[in-house]
Amino acid sequence: MSPPRRLHWAKRGQVFKLADHPGRPWLNSHAQAPATLVLADRVRVYFSCRPAPDAQGRYVSHTAFVDLARNDLTRVLAVNDEPVMALGARGCFDEFGVYPFSPINMGDTVRAFYGGWTRCETTPYTVAIGVAESHDGGIRFQRLGPGPLITSNTVDAFEISGPKLRRFGSRWYLGYVAGVGWHEVGGRFESIFKIKQATSTDGLNWQRTGHCVISDVLGADECQASPDVFEMDGRFHMVFCFKHGTNFRDNARGYRIGYATSDDLVNWQRHDHLCDLGVSAQGWDAQATGYPHVFEVDGQWHLLYIGNNFGRDGFGLASLVSA
Amino acid sequence: MSETDAPPKARWNKRGQVFDVRDHPLPFAPDGFAQSPQALVREHDVRVYFSCRQRDVLGKFVSRVAYADFDFGFTRILRTSAKPVIAPGAPGTFDEHGIFPLSPLPVGDQLLALTTGWTRRQSVSTDGGIGLVISHDGGETFIRSSAGPILSASLHEPFLVSDGFALAINGRYHLWYIHGVRWLDSGVAGVAAERVYKIAHAVSSDLVQWQRTGRQIIRDRLNADECQALPTVIEHGGRWHMVFCYRHAVDFRDNPAKSYRLGHASSADGVRWDRDDNDWALPVSSQGWDADMACYPNLFKLNGQVHLLYNGNQFGRFGFGLAVLEDT
Repeated sequence: MSPPRRLHWAKRGQVFKLADHPGRPWLNSHAQAPATLVLADRVRVYFSCRPAPDAQGRYVSHTAFVDLARNDLTRVLAVNDEPVMALGARGCFDEFGVYPFSPINMGDTVRAFYGGWTRCETTPYTVAIGVAESHDGGIRFQRLGPGPLITSNTVDAFEISGPKLRRFGSRWYLGYVAGVGWHEVGGRFESIFKIKQATSTDGLNWQRTGHCVISDVLGADECQASPDVFEMDGRFHMVFCFKHGTNFRDNARGYRIGYATSDDLVNWQRHDHLCDLGVSAQGWDAQATGYPHVFEVDGQWHLLYIGNNFGRDGFGLASLVSA
Repeated sequence: MSETDAPPKARWNKRGQVFDVRDHPLPFAPDGFAQSPQALVREHDVRVYFSCRQRDVLGKFVSRVAYADFDFGFTRILRTSAKPVIAPGAPGTFDEHGIFPLSPLPVGDQLLALTTGWTRRQSVSTDGGIGLVISHDGGETFIRSSAGPILSASLHEPFLVSDGFALAINGRYHLWYIHGVRWLDSGVAGVAAERVYKIAHAVSSDLVQWQRTGRQIIRDRLNADECQALPTVIEHGGRWHMVFCYRHAVDFRDNPAKSYRLGHASSADGVRWDRDDNDWALPVSSQGWDADMACYPNLFKLNGQVHLLYNGNQFGRFGFGLAVLEDT
């Protein structure tokens, strides 16, 4: 197979700014982990957001969506009036967060996998993957059950998060993020997490190997997230983000976008230098770029991503420049 | 089946509290407890694993697994473990705040065990998962087969997957265990939510991949919020028998009328169970160490006789006791 070509992305700015959409207390900050559902006249972008923190400074995450015009993705049509689903019941895995959220169109049904967050005592949180479905075109989602679909097991001892649900022909593919351990640094527990993948024939029963599929470039404590896989030009591509495992806030050790390719959806070769979506010289994405999501609309490939402060103020768009 | 057709009821001969932690203090467990005794019949003795308690840096209890070895008559304690039989779980793992219980499972010439791992949550007291451990030194110590659990929460079993007890039957492993179904909000600030949990069943060919039956297998006796725990199963007289404990969901700690009792069910196939608490009934005593409650049962056979270990008052604060079945 020919060597992968360079993906050159033209940045088109922060297309969704929270400041433009006030009046929703549940949408006080953050628009993280954008993921799309392409509809007839619009592209529905799900993202995860936060109300103001509680008295102890703790956040919850909700998932909501904004509709962008299909023929002009820089134009916001509407922001939904409420999250797509409520938080989980007391004691459930998703009691304190639904984040991120990965929809897939199945015709009459939209199925979504999501990360469900709960709070722990020693470590601050754990995450497991839940499943919900929508029968109204992706506006409201109902859980298929109160518990998680994918949670810790013999190959994944820690949190399971960041699902990216895909279907390639008859193959269901799930990229996910698995914790591999916690570091205690100055009294704060930081998770080290890696990209893994699972396969399924029905989208509900999944096989996991537990293998980390993306090699590290920052050393063993590199953290990897947002494994966003797409098929283009006869091969599989993954954009993702990675950062240092500790001391990564407000400095150059935060998220950058990585890139890998695969011919078989099993083995991945990393070529970060071939996917040029670095930080800008200034502005909303000058400090970090992360949580990439690639999608195709009307023959054009696009990439949504977040910038500084883990997407606190919104997310941005870039479009693939043809070779 | 009418009353006249009913098989004769079995009778338990209570042998009293055979292990009192005050008489056999464990140097690594200054806060005592000897909970959920689990027997392993060996060549020359019976080893009973149980969970005792340490306090962590927050002053909260962490369950650690110890053992005591008995002669076959349960009249003498031959030795107790010098240290916990398994190391603590790493931060963030399913068993980081303790193991309770450890259920030994001999498979061929290997000694495996199922564990229930506990990890604390913020909005509720705890969650659980079932782990698999193995001993390479005859049961003196165990190591984890993996840092993660073999069975944990699933779509319809949202939390508190715990209390695994497994048997190999006709080449397949059968697992009886419990899972949470809901947390009951107290409605009072500062008063913790209480959990409701039920007994379930799963099968496996390798102890790692499990097919869950997906239903409650023991009907409620008290009400829909009945809590059922610690299923233990044995074959006797051509039928499978399960003993478990059950209680009310609230006010069960200090109110003996709502605390744990032992229940019983029997089955022809291990899958469909008929509950009959009167058969194999082991009532609480009128006074003494098991007068307020009876809980955390473990069945095993010794010299052909069915033996039952269990805890009494205060959930096994001071030790555990024994009863032996007398078929009539």
